[in-house]
Order: sequence, then C-alpha cells, then structure tokens
Amino acid sequence: MAGTQEKLEKVRQAEKEWREKILEPRVKRFNLPKSPTNFYTPAGRDGFDFLEKVGFPGQYPFTAGNNPFDFWRAFAEDAARQGHRPDWGGGGSVGKYGGFGTASDYRDYLLRMQRIGRTGGPNMAFDLATQCGYDSDSPEAEGEVGRVGVAVDSLRDFEIIYEAYTTGDTAMDKVASNFTINAPAAVIIAMYAALAEKRGIPLASLRGTPQNDILKEFIARGTYIYPPRPSLRLFRDILVFCTEHMPKLNVTSIGGYHIREAGATRTQDLAFSMANAAAYLQAGIDAGLEVDSFAPMFTFNAFGGSMEIYREIAFQRAARRMYARMLKERFGAKNPRSMLIRQPATAHIGCSSTTLQRPLNNLARTVVGGLAAGMSGGKPLCFPPFDEPLGLGHSLEAVQLSLDATRILIHEAKVSDVNDPWAGSYMMESLTDEIEEGAWAEFDKIEKMGGAVAAIENGTMQKAIAKSAYEKQKRIERQEEFVVGVNCFTDENEIEVSVNRVVDEPYDEERMGSAEDRQKADLARLKRERNNRSVAKALSTLEKHAADEAVALMPDILECVKAEATLQEICDVLRGVFGEAQPVRI
Amino acid sequence: MSEERKIRVLVAKPGLDGHERGARVIAYGLRDEGFEVVYTGLRQTPDQIAAAALQEDVDVLGLSILSGAHLSLTRKVVERLKEHGADDILVLVGGIIPEKDIPVLKEIGVGEVFTSGASIPMIAEYIRSRIQPNGDR
Repeated sequence: MAGTQEKLEKVRQAEKEWREKILEPRVKRFNLPKSPTNFYTPAGRDGFDFLEKVGFPGQYPFTAGNNPFDFWRAFAEDAARQGHRPDWGGGGSVGKYGGFGTASDYRDYLLRMQRIGRTGGPNMAFDLATQCGYDSDSPEAEGEVGRVGVAVDSLRDFEIIYEAYTTGDTAMDKVASNFTINAPAAVIIAMYAALAEKRGIPLASLRGTPQNDILKEFIARGTYIYPPRPSLRLFRDILVFCTEHMPKLNVTSIGGYHIREAGATRTQDLAFSMANAAAYLQAGIDAGLEVDSFAPMFTFNAFGGSMEIYREIAFQRAARRMYARMLKERFGAKNPRSMLIRQPATAHIGCSSTTLQRPLNNLARTVVGGLAAGMSGGKPLCFPPFDEPLGLGHSLEAVQLSLDATRILIHEAKVSDVNDPWAGSYMMESLTDEIEEGAWAEFDKIEKMGGAVAAIENGTMQKAIAKSAYEKQKRIERQEEFVVGVNCFTDENEIEVSVNRVVDEPYDEERMGSAEDRQKADLARLKRERNNRSVAKALSTLEKHAADEAVALMPDILECVKAEATLQEICDVLRGVFGEAQPVRI
Repeated sequence: MSEERKIRVLVAKPGLDGHERGARVIAYGLRDEGFEVVYTGLRQTPDQIAAAALQEDVDVLGLSILSGAHLSLTRKVVERLKEHGADDILVLVGGIIPEKDIPVLKEIGVGEVFTSGASIPMIAEYIRSRIQPNGDR
C-alpha cells in the first residue's frame, strides 16, 4: 500500500510539472482563458475500490451492467445469419410503438404489420383524450380523438384491438403488450385483465408493461388527472393487485427520459427519477408488501438524452449503482433482481437532440447515442430514426438506416463484445462518481422536503426543470453550446442533403378524418346496449371504496370495466372523490 | 404618457397536449426580452384562452401545440377572439407544425408560425415589428 501511495505521489508531482511546463504555456500561447480539454490521472482516484465502485457485470452494485451478456447478445450472430429481425418488431416480444384512429383502425394496422413480419405484441400509443381520462364523446376530446394514438373508451375497444392477437404465436399471452398510459393506468390494466378472463387466459401468464409512472407526468409529460397523493394511492392499488395476480407484468416503467426531454439536467433527471422510484417503492412497503415481492416488477423507460457521450455513459453507470444502493441499503432488498434498472435502452440520445434542420444529420447523432448505449450496458440502439423531428411517422428508409446503424455497431465495430469498456478509466470513474454524488445531493434535498410527492405539490421539480430548459436555450442562443445546422454552420455554402422518404403506414387522411365520428358512434351504441343498471352499481361501489384510503381499488375498477363502464365514467367517479390536479403556473 | 406600457403576451397551451417545455422557455425568454408575459399552464380550452387574453388585456397570444391538433384548436381560439371583438390581438403559433399547414394557419388569422430552431430574439423582434409598446397594433 505504501508503494501505491508513493506512486500516486509521483504522479501528482509529475502532473504539477506537466501543468506548469506543458499545459499552461500552450494555453497562454493560444491566448485562452483556460484549457479546452481535460486530462484525468490516477492522482484523482486515490482510494479507488474496484469491487465497491464497479464490481462484475451482473453483480452488485451493477455499475458494469445488469448481466454479463443480454439475451439478444447471446443470439446476435445467429440472428445475423438467419436475417431474424426482432429489432424490427418481429418475434414474441413487443412491436413498434404506434396507434391511431379507432380501435378497429388500430386492429387493422396491427394485422397489416403482422403480414409483413411485425408479429410483436401491441405497443399502444393512446390518444390524448384517453390519456387524460376523457371519452371520445366528451367536449374535451373534440379534435383529439384517435390523433396521437388509438382511442379507447371501454372494454369493447380492447376486445376489438386484440382481435389481432387470438391464436398461435400471436395469442395475447404469447406476446408482450405495452401501454403508454399513466393517469388511467388502472383502467387500462383492468381492461387487459378483463379481456384475458373473457378468453379464459390466466392473468398470471400475461406479460407486458404499462407505463404507469404518474409522478413524472406532473414533472414532465403533462397527462395527469388527479392530484399527486391520490394518484400515488392508485399506483399502490395497481401494485397490490399485480403482485398478487399479474406477477409477469412490469408494473411500472419509470421515466428518466421524459424528465430529461422536458429540460432537466443530467443530475436533476437522475435525482428526480430516483425520488419518484423511492415514492413508488415506499407505497408498496406501506401497503405491507415485502420489497423483493414487487421490486423485480419495476422497469425504467430508459435514461438517456444528450449527445455528450462520456457523460451519458457515466450517467448509466451512476444510475445503476445509485438504484442498486438505494434498494439494498434503504429498502433492504435481498434479491439482486430487485436492484436492477431494467430498461429497453441505455444511453440513447433524446428526440430533443435531433434537429429539423438538415435532418439527415440526425443519423450521425443517433450513432453517437448508439455508441454510448453500446458502451454503457445496453444494445447499441441508434434511436430515433433520422426523420423523427419532421413530424409523426418514421419512413421506411429512416427505420432501415437506424436498424442498420445498430447492426453495424454490433457486428462490424464489435461495440458489444466488451462489458463496461470504460471500467477503471480515470475519466469514466471520475465522471461516474461526480454524477452519482450530484444526484444523491439533489435526491436528499427532495427527501428532506417530504419526498417526490411533496416536491411536486410545491412545484420544486417543475420549476427546476423549466429553469434548466430555459438556461439551455440561452446557451444555444449565445453560442455557448453548439447544434450543427441550427446555431452554427448555417451559411449558404452548407448544402441540404436529403433522401427519399416512404412512410410504410401513412396516416390515411380519410380514416383519420372520420375516426372521431366512428368512435363516437361505437360509444353511443355501447351506452345503448349495455346493462346500465350494473354499470351504475359498479360505479357506486367504486365511489364508496375510493373515499376510504385504506381500500385497494383495482378489484372495483375491474368490476366497472367488466360491466362495460367507460374509461371516463370510471375516471369521473374518481375525479369526484379525489379532485383534479391543477396546472402549475411558472 | 409618463410610463411606456410594456407589450403584453399570453402564452397558452390549448387542448390536452402536455409538452410544456417550449411554452415555458418562450414565457421566460419573452419576459427577459422585456415583455409582460402570462403563461396559462396546461390544458386550456379555447374559451379559457380567449377569456384570459381579454382579461389580461394582451397584445399578443402565443399558442404552443405539439399534438397535431393545431388546425382545429387555432381555428377555435381565433373564432372566440373574434366573437369578443378581440381579433386585433396578434396570434402566433409555435410547436411541431408541418410546413404544409403554415399557410393554412396564416389564412385562419395567425400572424406567424415559429417551429423548431426559432430563437427567442427572432420571435421578440417579430412581435416588436408588429406592435408598438404603447399598445398600438
């Protein structure tokens, strides 16, 4: 050990001399205020403990990755030889994120996708009315029905959508389903469960991921309904139900991604996401559940978001270590699976890093994101397709380039042949510590305030990220940060490069135009045909139980759904009991 | 007139769209540019927005829409303003707006459309070119 200290002392001495004799004269020579580059040495890593800070892939604290290798990596070469395209939405997992129009429009889309080999489960985007708890015939829904996703008003819509998933490899329990739904997550999960019951499929065999991350809606995404506290109660009620009946459902997909896209800094993103996760975990503990009985059902929607490759890799490492520590030390988890940040992608860039200007440049940007992902414990996903900022609808060409870029990184660059390739790097370990420490400091502030719910109620998180977003905008406008083609290299000598774009599933203007009327007609028919007495009865039981905080509401919501109560009818009952969240004015 | 009246701007989020980053950044930015800015927060109906524009006596109304529902929402807001005789308010639209919809929005009565990459000084300059600080439009 004395030898180590001596060596470090030597390095420190050498660094001092280097600064004086080499670095500073050069900085002076170019007349700079400070050096534009950094250099990291072991001198700054005094006492670095590999086992404590990094460890082995698949072992606590998971800095080096969740697994020595993932499922996809095990069969990557086979997939290449056979031209297998799970990355395209094939196979028994989950298909491409999408959804539009009425339930039957979306069903027809899914069937068309299956015919071209996209046989994955439905990965549902819901329209904004559904996401905000309104039916298609509500005045609030006017103009929004079926627009950014499929409209779902009742169990009948789920029955129609899942007509695309009936037999064989595409039976509803043979594919995973994703639901990008938050405030009404309980209703959508109940529809999924009720449909399985109708088909005689055991709930325990259902696989899927509802987003069900309501707290970040208040911070970032905006589709909340009830105030934060009753919203968290509904989370608890879903958790209690799923732990018992639907253990294969990833009960939540906690979003770092949305928070960053809304403008959060890296530190805010990590701290706020961890604070939200802590609130969900505590809700489970408070409901009397044992942490290892439910924490393995938690997933994350992917952390990621910027082009700064070193820091984004460090961020993933810090996030894994921080979450593992929180689970083990604070929540007493014993099962290693409880401690994992399971996410579909690691350090991909955010869509806000793409530009409308010279959009083909986005391909270069996503390759940087893919590299960062591949070097931080994930598949090197080059997401999103380059034409993302042009508007809804990725072209076939853009998707092809995006898939190929990932394949090139895997098979030609061999990015995925080494676990945590930056482990032990003076730079990477230093950045990882810095990000984790910053996030813990921010996290502790939120905990002192009373946790995520309190920090949302008093507007702390919302204001903090609004400010960060504005600061970033100012840095871009002052040219302190550069975005190529946007605030630099924009003169007439730069040329616009474009490629053909064929959208595989162009929005059928006619169908889109008539979706609202057709969906409303279906809803009107439902309201005529169903047994309104049993609807009223189920809703009134829900109302009574909602008023008692101790009651877990999922069984009642399931009864409402089975009686064919609509999404809004259920949400309205809860609005009546819980009240509605008010927007934060900044 | 002893004191020059600041140009007043209402930044509004019509419809159910929850993407708030742009609206917040514009609100902060225009405030720093010397305008009087009010931001409505999320999920405002066209009626609420028109009422707020009248109540706050604004010169400019900025609508931020990223959901694709910009045509129907903007049309409704402009109609409400007309109903209240407030169609002299300069209406701007920002968000994800396909190029082909920009002339349609202008036909509806929108002064200018600002999409991704527009800078705050650019927007401020446009507003100043259209409105005098004493409120003359």
